[in-house]
Amino acid sequence: MSIQDIFNAVIAFDEPTVAAKTQVELDAGTDINAILNDGLIGAMDEVGEKFSTGELFVPEMLMAAQAMKSGLAILKPLLAEGSSQRKGTVVIGTVKGDLHDIGKNLVAMMMEGAGFDVIDLGVDVDSEAFVKNAAEKQADVIALSALLTTTMPAMETTVKAVKEAGMSVRTIIGGAPVTQAFADQIGADGYSADAPGAVKLVKALVA
Amino acid sequence: MDSKGLSGGIYQPLSPEGIETIHDASMAILEKTGITYETGLEETVNMLADAGATVDLEAGRIRFPRGLIQNQVAKAPSRVVLYARDGKNDLDLTEDKVHLGTGGAAVKILDPETGQPRSSTLKDLYQLGRLVDALDHVHFFLRPCIPTDIPEAEYDINMFYACLKATGKHVMSGVNDESGLERVIDMAAMLAGGEEQLTAKPFISVITSFSISPLKLCTQSTRIMQACNRRGIPVALSAAPMSGSTGPMTMAGTLAQLHAEQMAGITICQLTRAGAPLLYGGIPGMANMATMGYRGGGVECGMMNAAIHQLSAHIQVPNYNSAGLTDAKLPDAQAGWEKAMTVLLGAMGGSNYMHHSAGMLESMLTVAHEQFVMDDEIIGMACKVLKGIEVDADHLALDVIDTVGPAGNFMMSPHTMKYMRSEYFQGNGVTDSKSRHQWEQGGALDARERARGLARKILESPETPYISEEIDQAIREKFNILLKTV
Repeated sequence: MSIQDIFNAVIAFDEPTVAAKTQVELDAGTDINAILNDGLIGAMDEVGEKFSTGELFVPEMLMAAQAMKSGLAILKPLLAEGSSQRKGTVVIGTVKGDLHDIGKNLVAMMMEGAGFDVIDLGVDVDSEAFVKNAAEKQADVIALSALLTTTMPAMETTVKAVKEAGMSVRTIIGGAPVTQAFADQIGADGYSADAPGAVKLVKALVA
Repeated sequence: MDSKGLSGGIYQPLSPEGIETIHDASMAILEKTGITYETGLEETVNMLADAGATVDLEAGRIRFPRGLIQNQVAKAPSRVVLYARDGKNDLDLTEDKVHLGTGGAAVKILDPETGQPRSSTLKDLYQLGRLVDALDHVHFFLRPCIPTDIPEAEYDINMFYACLKATGKHVMSGVNDESGLERVIDMAAMLAGGEEQLTAKPFISVITSFSISPLKLCTQSTRIMQACNRRGIPVALSAAPMSGSTGPMTMAGTLAQLHAEQMAGITICQLTRAGAPLLYGGIPGMANMATMGYRGGGVECGMMNAAIHQLSAHIQVPNYNSAGLTDAKLPDAQAGWEKAMTVLLGAMGGSNYMHHSAGMLESMLTVAHEQFVMDDEIIGMACKVLKGIEVDADHLALDVIDTVGPAGNFMMSPHTMKYMRSEYFQGNGVTDSKSRHQWEQGGALDARERARGLARKILESPETPYISEEIDQAIREKFNILLKTV
């Protein structure tokens, strides 16, 4: 039942315990996929659910994600050896002209929590940087964030640039002023109103 | 957030001189104009005459010397505790400590299914009690509606029974006659484990509308009030003149008349039994000058009810009055603004026991499940105001500001985790603060629909047995209990 302990420690935002219990399980020879999927990722799924229902606030989701990452850090070197299949790679950033990063960081943490490799390009990212990094990392998804109505056009520019580069990578968008209708209008592959929704969206796109 | 018992007294519509002037005017009213009475109150009238009041039997007029009023009013307790059976909702009524709850005698309810008005029933009263039991900011349960589906002779015992079965919060109601009061006390004593236990920690109290404004004693209610005094059951001396019909058109005049009525009532109670627990029950209101009905939602109701608390505090008697009425017919925007005004003014004023504060519509005629949920939110927010802004080292957060530093953020600071749920008001869920997208995904519900959903959820949850099976059976054997067993 120690995987349950890892799960519980993530839910309790208890970073040291998550790391310690993850190590204990590894040392005991427990299947790394079980630790990852049933312990760490399973817990973040539950945290995402509780966030969506309003039971948890943003800081609590961040704390859970941080606790989860402490376990993930221990598993990561082993995952690289191919003992577990990775879920996919996401390149994420706030678009050109926009310096807001709270929502983008939240989505990045939740994606990591769900087991994706996340390359965070930060804020004020131009379309060339998105295209270049996505190509280099063989990303599955590019996630674009904007808080300002005035920077929403930069999303369209980036989506266009990806298409013109002939890449198969999918683009998703989010941020306070952004809507599904806007996503449809600029030809993005998806939209989510919140971080757990973004995780579900990416899971569906890479499936 | 525990919202009950916080201190108001931060809104004072009367200046200290204004209080003195009105108090003096009330004394003058009792001295010069005096009060009258219905027939059948000979004993009470004789008691007052023996104590020094001037009684003109021919004209039916009682006039009070100031000394008599002063001496008797001074005997009334400055603190009355109304107990709850749930162990967490005792009401400590004194000074400017604020409590808000239900009240009224509505005869209609907006049907929970159809949303349309219909006559209220005994089952409705029981369900409203269960609803209030689950709403944190509704501090007591004064029966808010009348069971129109049972014979009037059965009201007293059955209203109290339905309330006591439904909630562990303090229960207040009225009774029709003295025999009804006896039955109610008997039943409550069975729940308390004896009458001594009941009067030591009274979890029921009685509204006695002893005064027919202006300045006339009601025989039946005065007798019930005195019977409660003798038995040690707390009473609320309800009197509700309306400016323009049963009180003078002006606010100051209505307050002066009402304060006089209250001091006469308190004098009767204290002569009946010195130290009898009571609540000053002045409810200043306004007549709707277009219809002569009760104008419940006026902003002046909030002003006058805060003022009457100042007058009760002046004679150091805890008070019962009104907040949260609206003239709206359904839970709409008007209901929202009228209720928010009078509840906030009442709370900031410091009234000790404000009834009508949850669930009421159409002045005092209609109740609605969803309105109780909305009013729980309004009361919670009003009481939050009384908590004020804490300014101590931990709340100033200088260390936290330094640690986070310029251009950082406070989202994951332990300080944020510590205060996230306590520094700001957390509602019952009826307030929508989601994004439009999330709101649309949730069905794009307006406030009324969200409140109906929450009420439904509460009533669908298992019932809490506030009367044990054994005692319930004994009560049903002794009294004609009409609420069906569930």
